Amino acid sequence: MSAMATVGDSVVSVVDLHKSYGSVRAVDGVSFEVTQGEVFGLLGPNGAGKTTTIEMLEGLLRPDSGSANVLGIDVTRHPEALKERIGVQLQTAALYPNLTVVELIDLFGSFYAKRRSSKELIRELGLEEREVALSRELSGGQRQRLSIALALVNDPELIFLDEPTTGLDPQGRRSLWDQIGELRKQGRTILLTTHYMEEAERLCDRVAIMDHGQILEMGTVNELVTRHFKERTVRFETRPELTDERLSGLSGVQRVAHESDETVLYTSQVPQTVGALLKLGDELGLEGLDLAVRRPTLEDVFIELTGRALRD
Amino acid sequence: MRRLTAGLWPLTVANVKSFYRDRASLFWTFAFPIIFVVLFGSIFSGGGTGFTLGWVDQDRSPASQQLRGAFADVSILVLTDADQAAALEQMREGTLDAVVVVPAGLGEAMTPGRGGPPFQLTLYTDPSRQTASTTVAQIVSQLVGGVNLALAGVPPALGVTTQTLQTQSISSAAYFVPSILAMALMQLGVFAAIPLVAQREKGILKRLNATPLSRATLVASNVVMRLLIAILQTVIIVGIGVVAFGVTVVGSLVVVAGFIVLGAVTFLALGYVIASYARTEESANALTSVVQFPLMFLSGIFFPIDFMPEWLQPVASIMPLTYLGDALRQTMVGGAAYAPLPIDALVLGGWLAVSFLLSARFFRWQ
Repeated sequence: MSAMATVGDSVVSVVDLHKSYGSVRAVDGVSFEVTQGEVFGLLGPNGAGKTTTIEMLEGLLRPDSGSANVLGIDVTRHPEALKERIGVQLQTAALYPNLTVVELIDLFGSFYAKRRSSKELIRELGLEEREVALSRELSGGQRQRLSIALALVNDPELIFLDEPTTGLDPQGRRSLWDQIGELRKQGRTILLTTHYMEEAERLCDRVAIMDHGQILEMGTVNELVTRHFKERTVRFETRPELTDERLSGLSGVQRVAHESDETVLYTSQVPQTVGALLKLGDELGLEGLDLAVRRPTLEDVFIELTGRALRD
Repeated sequence: MRRLTAGLWPLTVANVKSFYRDRASLFWTFAFPIIFVVLFGSIFSGGGTGFTLGWVDQDRSPASQQLRGAFADVSILVLTDADQAAALEQMREGTLDAVVVVPAGLGEAMTPGRGGPPFQLTLYTDPSRQTASTTVAQIVSQLVGGVNLALAGVPPALGVTTQTLQTQSISSAAYFVPSILAMALMQLGVFAAIPLVAQREKGILKRLNATPLSRATLVASNVVMRLLIAILQTVIIVGIGVVAFGVTVVGSLVVVAGFIVLGAVTFLALGYVIASYARTEESANALTSVVQFPLMFLSGIFFPIDFMPEWLQPVASIMPLTYLGDALRQTMVGGAAYAPLPIDALVLGGWLAVSFLLSARFFRWQ
């Protein structure tokens, strides 16, 4: 493997990967490629097999069958060589609670042949003010940034991020997205898992939608959405008077769906549908009908594929 | 080689820092054994040397003065003069072991050739303090017998000279200081299970496994850290023994150090066995308590095994702490042997080997 990898080279290559726990097939025949410089997302609900997949690629779990090459290294044969060159952020991993931020970065740095200075990493991740705080005193967002700093300590070519923003408030999530965007600009390859579709839409060049240990669909966000939906959606708070029967008769409507307390109309002709809907509202004497027109999202693709919402 | 040494020292330093920033582990490792040493020291050094006897003289005659002199000559008796009420009060408080009351009329009764019933001294003893009460009663009746013989003008035909014999000058402090050191080393090892399980439960071990750090290095750093703490514990516990209770270390320091290392590593391996079976930090806490109390009280570290009920003695004779305590007592203060040193080393080595194999087989990293 040359250090001079160029954009488009395959960095991760997975073929027909399997892993079972007893009778549960956690990963059931997964294949995909990640190329140099791209951000690739595994998107799916909890229990879909994302973490098991990523941990096999990190050399933490042994696949039952199939092959996985990461940076040109067979992960089952030379996990130690692999670990020198990748950066890892685990979903559940806590850190030594009684060590400070700078102590932890220095400690993890000592495990690698190649290492970056702790000062630089602390500045890069905006942890200057918390440098000498014990890790147990950090906020959720700070802890997550520290755990990304630890993933960068060996200046890795490839970074694995497992649910990087889970448990963060919206502000913390946005700041971490910026951080990941920076990494991408530096030309690093990133493989992340998430069950937030906004995250996948915002960060990922390509996504693979996973459920029950299998990849259902793969491509750019645009490709996935247009592959499944020619229509746009018109959404509003469900009213008992607006029955499915009445709605499906409106101009342009192809399908009526319900998501929690919202009614969703799929239409290929947004203006006509909205006009007809407002007119129907007037006739029924409904007030304050709040409409939103949206392009279908990954969430819709997921529901289309699995029949249930991502966060179920 | 780089694979084993990379990260070894930084990880050891990190472990030491984590350790001293955790108050609970500091307490169990240092404060607890120190409290033990001081407590045992105060209890034993009070009663070890002799018996305190209250002397109530209601006669105040030359004869009673003479009798007092005879009592005062007994080296293991320390006499305190008081009136009867005060003496009995002091005995209740525990500052006196026994009280002798000499009623008025002694001088008269001791006139040679006087007939009638014998003059009665009164001896107060406390049956709940068996050793003190029987010893004092014996001394008193011996003295009284001697006085009777002297008054009758018969020279004693038979006398006993008492001499004490000890292998070394071993005080009670010299007995318990090695015991407490053994206990501290046991706890240091066994308690290692708790942070280990906590690190696994929180995913710290898994995170380390995602780095090039080898597992051998991880275990080695744990061993090095515990040995450093063991050295510190030894210095503190033995230091208190030497400074406060006059313990002298007589054995070879190399052999002493060898047993300290062997003991620390053996119990650390036992800690890893516990960590192999405990899944959560809570269960590791419970399991270490369950293991450490029988280890401590079914071993011969706090009282000789001969004092145990007979059915328990075989249990004590397989406990590793029995042999660590025995070895440390022999090598540090020249105490009497329960087993020869090679046997001590062999039993500890056996426990180490079994624990090592069990934990190598059953320890889970994630």
